[in-house]
Amino acid sequence: MKLLELSEVSAAYGAVQALRGLDLVVGEGEIVTLLGANGAGKSTTLRSISGLLTPNAGEIRFAGQVISGLHPEKVVRLGIAHVPEGRRVFPGLSVRENIMLGASNRRIARAEMARDTAEMFALFPDIARFADTLGWMLSGGQQQMVALARGLMARPRLLLLDEPSLGLAPLIVQQVFRIIARIRETGTTVLLVEQNARIALSVADRGYVLETGRLVVSGKPDALWNNEEVRAAYLGGKRLSEEQKPA
Amino acid sequence: MSSARTPFAWAMVLVIGLALVLVLPINGYLMNLLMQASTYAIAVLGMTVVLGYTGQINIAQAAFFGIGAYGVALGTTSLGLPFFVALALGAVVAAFFGLVLGGSTLKLGGHYLAMVTISFQEILTLVLTNWISVSHGPDGVANIPRPRLGALALDTSPHYLAVCLVFLFVAAGAVAGLKSSRLGLAMQSVRDNELAAGVIGIDTYRVKIIAFATSAFLGGLGGGLFAGAFRYISPDQFAFDDSVVLLTMVLLGGVDAAIGAVIGTALLILLPEWLRFLKQFYLAVYGLAVILIMVFMPQGIWGFLSGLFRRALPIPAGPLAPLVLGEAVESAEVLLAVEGLAKHFGGLRAVDELDFEVVRGRVHALIGPNGSGKTTTLNLLSGIYKPTAGRIRLAGRDITGLAPHVLARAGIGRTFQNIRLFHSLSAFENVLIGAGRPGESGQDGESRRQRALSALDFVGMVARAHVPVASLPYGHQRLIEIARALAANPTLLLLDEPAAGLNLTEKQNLVALLRRLRGHGLTLLLIEHDMDLVEQVSDRITVLNFGRRIADGTPLEVLRHPEVVAAYLGEVAEDEAA
Amino acid sequence: MAIILQLLFTGLGIGAVYALVALGFVLIYRATNVVNFAQGQFAMLGGYCMVITTVDLGLPYWLGILITLVVMAGFGAIFNLGVYYPLRHRSFLPVVISTIGASILITNLVLGLYGPEPTTLPGVIDFPGVSLGAVFLDSQYLVIIAVTLILVLLQYFFFEHTLVGKKMQAVSQDKEVASLLGINVTGMIMLTFAYSAVLGGIAGVLVAPILFVSVGLGAQIALKAFAASIIGGFGDVPGAIAGGLIIGVAETLGAFYISVPYKDAFAFILLFAFLLIRPQGIFGEKVSQKA
Repeated sequence: MKLLELSEVSAAYGAVQALRGLDLVVGEGEIVTLLGANGAGKSTTLRSISGLLTPNAGEIRFAGQVISGLHPEKVVRLGIAHVPEGRRVFPGLSVRENIMLGASNRRIARAEMARDTAEMFALFPDIARFADTLGWMLSGGQQQMVALARGLMARPRLLLLDEPSLGLAPLIVQQVFRIIARIRETGTTVLLVEQNARIALSVADRGYVLETGRLVVSGKPDALWNNEEVRAAYLGGKRLSEEQKPA
Repeated sequence: MSSARTPFAWAMVLVIGLALVLVLPINGYLMNLLMQASTYAIAVLGMTVVLGYTGQINIAQAAFFGIGAYGVALGTTSLGLPFFVALALGAVVAAFFGLVLGGSTLKLGGHYLAMVTISFQEILTLVLTNWISVSHGPDGVANIPRPRLGALALDTSPHYLAVCLVFLFVAAGAVAGLKSSRLGLAMQSVRDNELAAGVIGIDTYRVKIIAFATSAFLGGLGGGLFAGAFRYISPDQFAFDDSVVLLTMVLLGGVDAAIGAVIGTALLILLPEWLRFLKQFYLAVYGLAVILIMVFMPQGIWGFLSGLFRRALPIPAGPLAPLVLGEAVESAEVLLAVEGLAKHFGGLRAVDELDFEVVRGRVHALIGPNGSGKTTTLNLLSGIYKPTAGRIRLAGRDITGLAPHVLARAGIGRTFQNIRLFHSLSAFENVLIGAGRPGESGQDGESRRQRALSALDFVGMVARAHVPVASLPYGHQRLIEIARALAANPTLLLLDEPAAGLNLTEKQNLVALLRRLRGHGLTLLLIEHDMDLVEQVSDRITVLNFGRRIADGTPLEVLRHPEVVAAYLGEVAEDEAA
Repeated sequence: MAIILQLLFTGLGIGAVYALVALGFVLIYRATNVVNFAQGQFAMLGGYCMVITTVDLGLPYWLGILITLVVMAGFGAIFNLGVYYPLRHRSFLPVVISTIGASILITNLVLGLYGPEPTTLPGVIDFPGVSLGAVFLDSQYLVIIAVTLILVLLQYFFFEHTLVGKKMQAVSQDKEVASLLGINVTGMIMLTFAYSAVLGGIAGVLVAPILFVSVGLGAQIALKAFAASIIGGFGDVPGAIAGGLIIGVAETLGAFYISVPYKDAFAFILLFAFLLIRPQGIFGEKVSQKA
């Protein structure tokens, strides 16, 4: 079943046309990844879905309802949580408070909020002991965990993740992606933007490759990995040989 | 309108204006309004320079106006100086205070400057009121004489108004001319994008101080003439509220043009007459007008009108000379040497113990995942950040920690990842500001204009020279930014993701452009994510990850390096199953 | 010694008023990055609101205060809608100039409606004060210090222990992410303006019995409150309070020992000194520019 559908979506920042008629479908329960170079329009796609940016053409549907042009506060109430690039943890709030505020889209009592927060600490044991630490004092990996937990607090049907590996050490990246794989087991659909193609394709069901705001190619991870254009976009390495294939 | 005819036309306007003033029977009341308007307008022209051209707030123009007024009042009555000497004295003292005030706070942000100017305004009012032995206190100074010019007594009102008008005309002409001058363009570049102004060689702090002092000077000049016009002044005429009135005048008329200052002043001097029926509420309407102008007409009346027929700087005609870019050297000498460079933000090591060398005449690429410290490195090289540790040498000279404009003059040019153009100027004006290294010979206006055009021609944008950059498409803006950097004749050009956001054709053109630059012997240091492009243009690649260098070598070596492959495509470590 | 203690007491009292207005400055600045030059007019309006309700209409003092608080909250909201909201996507300068315009508008509306003559407002309590040795503690100053203390504690509780307080903090730290989480950013900013106006209003009510209520009241307090917030470290809450108290004490001491006519200059001289020596203020981070 289609949970999210973008048809012919175009979006711009001022004079810069960042998306040019993008079509994209995410099915319920899938992990779909968007790949492409900087400036290809990956983040713009997520920003258009979550309402931070209003598309200047096209339509975005979520569970059958048109959501393009809705304000972010409305979009998140429908069940789309967006974990933005760079984590953006509130620097002056504690980890617990950061996570708690993730439930701002749901009208729930404070006690329930506290209960859900405790659940998140169970899911992310690494940050539980930093519950009362201020956001800015955390390392990048810890901040990414907080941002993920904050996103999950919204109980989203669809989670938008923008470059969760950004600036993280390889070991931490693996940790983050193990959690992303686990998130899918809870039935949450994930749309993942990632620069780290290999690890993104290792968890995804399908992938899309964008270039200058357009779809270049889409398909299963294996097919994309073997696609010359994808490899060219990432390493320019047409000469790079087979030995670099994922295990 | 040709440039030769313009001054003549304006001179005619002045002559006709003077004739009207001297011949027509003007009643005393109207005469007062005209004298007030012409002297205020001079002070408002100062606001055009500081707020309109340079984008710095000044809420103390009435204080500078007051200093000039007291200069004339006390200079003539207490010291017995001739009128024009006292006038000059007042204006110079005002400029001096502007210099000191600006010098101490212009390095800080906007609201500090607002607060400091207000404080200065308040202190001046207190001093004028309380330093009775000098200022005559709240009673003010009376019987201020009007000037004589040789045998010609200028003390009748029509004559004195004529004097004020001459000063106004000269001031307006100077301020209008300033806009398209080298200094004026520098001011506007500071207003539009201070960071970019710095990296193309403009000493932004100095430009701001000059603007502030000029504004204070014009304030003092207007005030001095005001004192002569009304022959009586008191401290309450130069209070905070009056500064706000002067600010409103420049905003209403249009901050960006001398004519706007005159329009705004004339309107707001007349407005109270028209709003007389509002009685005590007219100042309230005034306040409301300020808000409404900000919301609906941020460019002011003249800005609104002239927006309909904007005129950019005239572009010199004639054949174009090819762009000269240093001399092609094939010496394989190290141009840029980076040793142990580090930049820490709190606990984050954005750049850490970085070493690399760039050889003269080569294209060197800096690659690495997002957040690996590439842009931070460029910011260190162009002086935007001061390094935490390490050394940077350009052609053997230690340039560590120098300011952006000093580095620009030393030969480092750059572009930005998120294009930083001077958005209210035309493509030609943008490039002209960067043209020719300050301090080099051959810097007359004509050769700089030629150089700007050659640079535009080099990137293939000369046909769009007159277009305001804000209305150019993204790809063209990138090219304008490169042309701006080239116009300064850099030795080393730093390019931060020049291909980002370009489509395939534009990328191919960029590759060709970069190759041509290399062919001219220019040294390039390039950050880029598009590996295809990097492979095509670069002679050498340095790879960063977590602020450290993980590889360095020819494209072929580097792109096969296992650590680089891992950093880019993602490492699958042995413990994945665990 | 007694004189110094007496001056300190008076200085802290007047400084507390500056601190309240400075607090309003800082809250709006943190929520919107806007420096509100009309903050002082909030205090002036609070003073007039009290005069109108308790003196002109003869309502009981407590009811006057209640009405004033409600009116100020409403006014803060209207101020937000008229002065900040239409310009929220624009740069620093237009918004600052717009608040200056609002300040002129408010001052002259009151001037037109109420005239230039200053009015007096009786103190909160009839009791004149207590003597502590040679030091006389005026009751109104005691009230000011007590109310300021209570407000600061309440505000601390509100921001640290309520969900709405946390949401307001989140909005001031990152508006975009706050909206992504479903926090009503526009509403929170509205609330910030309303609360800042209430703070200003309370400052006006408190200071009215000491200074006369006049249209000049706002500008007089605002400039010193602004200086206080810079001295404390711009955008810093404890800094605003410390800065307010420092300025109150400095100008009281300065007026007594140095010069009465130049009393109002001491705040600005202190400000200049700070800008030259320590521009980041007492608690502030070093000012720096981001690329």
